[in-house]
Amino acid sequence: MTRVLVPLAILEGESVSTGLPTLLATMDVTVLGYHVLPEQTPPDQARLQYEDRATAALTDLAEAFEAAGGSADHRLVFTHDRERTVDRVADEVAADAYAVTGATGSVDRLLVALTGNIAGDRITAFVAELVGDREIGVTLFLATDDEPGGRESIAAAADSLAERGIDVETTLAVDEPPLEALVEAAPSHDAIVMGERSPSLRSFLLGEEADRVAAEAVGPVIVVREESADAAATREQGIDADRASQLED
Amino acid sequence: MSDPSSAGGTNVEGESPRVEPTIETADVTITDDAELERTLGLAGALAIGIGTMIGAGIFVFPGLAAGRAGPAAAGSFAIGAFVALLVALPASELATAMPKSGGGYYYISRGLGTLPGAVVGLSLWFGLVFATAFYLVGFGYYAVDTLAELGVSMGDGLVIPLALLFGAGVTVLNVTGTENAAKLQNGIVALLLSILIVFLGYGGLDALGIVGEPSAPQQFAPFGPMPVLTTAALVFTSYLGFAQVATVAGEIRDPGRNLPLAMVGSVLVVGVLYVAAIFVATSAFGSERLSTFGETAMVEVGRHYFGSAGAVAIVFGGLLATMSSANASVLSTSRAIYAVSKDALLPRHASHINLRYGTPHVALGMAGGPILALVATGRVELLAEVASFLHLVTYGLLCVALLALRRADPSWYDPDFRVPGYPVVPILGALASFALIGFMQRTSQLIGVGIMLATAGWYAYYGRDVTLKGVVE
Repeated sequence: MTRVLVPLAILEGESVSTGLPTLLATMDVTVLGYHVLPEQTPPDQARLQYEDRATAALTDLAEAFEAAGGSADHRLVFTHDRERTVDRVADEVAADAYAVTGATGSVDRLLVALTGNIAGDRITAFVAELVGDREIGVTLFLATDDEPGGRESIAAAADSLAERGIDVETTLAVDEPPLEALVEAAPSHDAIVMGERSPSLRSFLLGEEADRVAAEAVGPVIVVREESADAAATREQGIDADRASQLED
Repeated sequence: MSDPSSAGGTNVEGESPRVEPTIETADVTITDDAELERTLGLAGALAIGIGTMIGAGIFVFPGLAAGRAGPAAAGSFAIGAFVALLVALPASELATAMPKSGGGYYYISRGLGTLPGAVVGLSLWFGLVFATAFYLVGFGYYAVDTLAELGVSMGDGLVIPLALLFGAGVTVLNVTGTENAAKLQNGIVALLLSILIVFLGYGGLDALGIVGEPSAPQQFAPFGPMPVLTTAALVFTSYLGFAQVATVAGEIRDPGRNLPLAMVGSVLVVGVLYVAAIFVATSAFGSERLSTFGETAMVEVGRHYFGSAGAVAIVFGGLLATMSSANASVLSTSRAIYAVSKDALLPRHASHINLRYGTPHVALGMAGGPILALVATGRVELLAEVASFLHLVTYGLLCVALLALRRADPSWYDPDFRVPGYPVVPILGALASFALIGFMQRTSQLIGVGIMLATAGWYAYYGRDVTLKGVVE
């Protein structure tokens, strides 16, 4: 199953809007509640004071995801360094994507950007699983300088989604600034799916681009990660362990 | 939150130590419901150790030490470094076995029991307060010299007001500041090290007669061996930073590797720099003249080798170094108070975090208030010695705790780093720490003993029913 990490500054009142649990109902969700402390404050000290409150809020959130039909767990981390924490937990749970939360009601149409450094077929595979058999339309978006090449790859991606019975449209932005073009295309959509920029989540999810997209698009942004070596290894180990236990049986 | 019956008795107010099972990995401490990210790397840990220490040894002590011991003051610093190493090794073993906030207090309370733990924990608080006050007075001297270099001659009367002002500023900034200053601290330490290496490298070559004019030879230990030892006791304050690394042990990544490297490494780095600085300084002027320059003697040494540019560089370095020492110590003090309060030996309120800034304002205030009172006394040598006294007691007991733990060998005791030369190193470390106290001025000893008795009295009143020995998370 595919896992999506939802990082939230839990003690600063960050929460998820009603549409997100519904959208992620087809996924395994890990709600990562984090609290960033100034260096004057030992994380353990903050834990003693805030743990109960944060855990209660996280439990509620995880329940909201469960109630929408998904499966969800939660983690609570006290840290001095948000990026390190989000990266570490994402690797540990082998998350395939992150959600930048935004306001949304029910999701009818996704804007899927085939940009970033993530292979197009990883993004389309993710979207196919996310949509599942629900009535959610997809607009594929590609910004490129190479019009014929772009047209070809976007058509291939559209075909692979259409095969699964998903309603697909395409938007090709030629020689336009990619970010602005994406934001321009956003208003008629309820959420955005995009690939992570290299080299990691840091420059993307936490960088200015994701913030701008999330801020201007209002709705949630789901960022597909590159499968990290660690995550891949963990998964393989898991498979090996499964096999080993099957052999024992 | 914690079950009163499970851990360690209760204090007068009915609070018990908060002890919960945890799992430690290289990146994170995992408790039942939450994770605590380890965010400090080796560079950050070294910066805490070096940043705390470097202010005192090079920028405040050379003149004072040379006045007392002559050129042999370099030997005093070497003795200090040796004692610090003898303690840093056992401290490293304990820290890797118990990578928790609180440092020396934690090891002693778990290894030897609540009374020594309470005395050490509270003495460490006061020791850090004395040390910070000492750094701040040093800062005051450099601030006045900075003004002098800028052409504003104010005289030494302004030293204490400036130190008080800055001390209050540091406290307030730590309560209200949420910007991450760790990177700044790393940068300051790197800058300081570069200034010092250029300065000491050139000065060292000059002093050896390889460049420049040969200096007049002078007697190495004009006052005999005894002042070398008493000076070692005085300047030991220059080595108090390595154990501060252990107060943030809970936040250091890969503690099994980084804690020993940071503690031992920072002692070695500053030890070499101190000895070189004294050697260069006494070669430039002769110890007698050096001592007449007082707390900021190094500025004159800088002027001697590099003209006014050298003086400005040293004044600037001195300002940065004393600032970083003071700031790092305030942070350690607040963590020391937190560790004791978590174990119900101080009111729990002491470690309360305010909602507005997310900072432990009560603990920071408990650091800042007494610091300012002590700065007002302006007694540099006394502040330094009492700080050393209280730390040395901790260091000695820390070595004893190591011996006790190794002997009892409880199942939870599984350090990643084991002290080489056991049991000689911890035994020597304990003896040397206690011996160094013997060479201090009588006043410092009396104040130190008084503080320890007061902390023991507090224990008897407040927390005598708390048990901590062997209570690990």
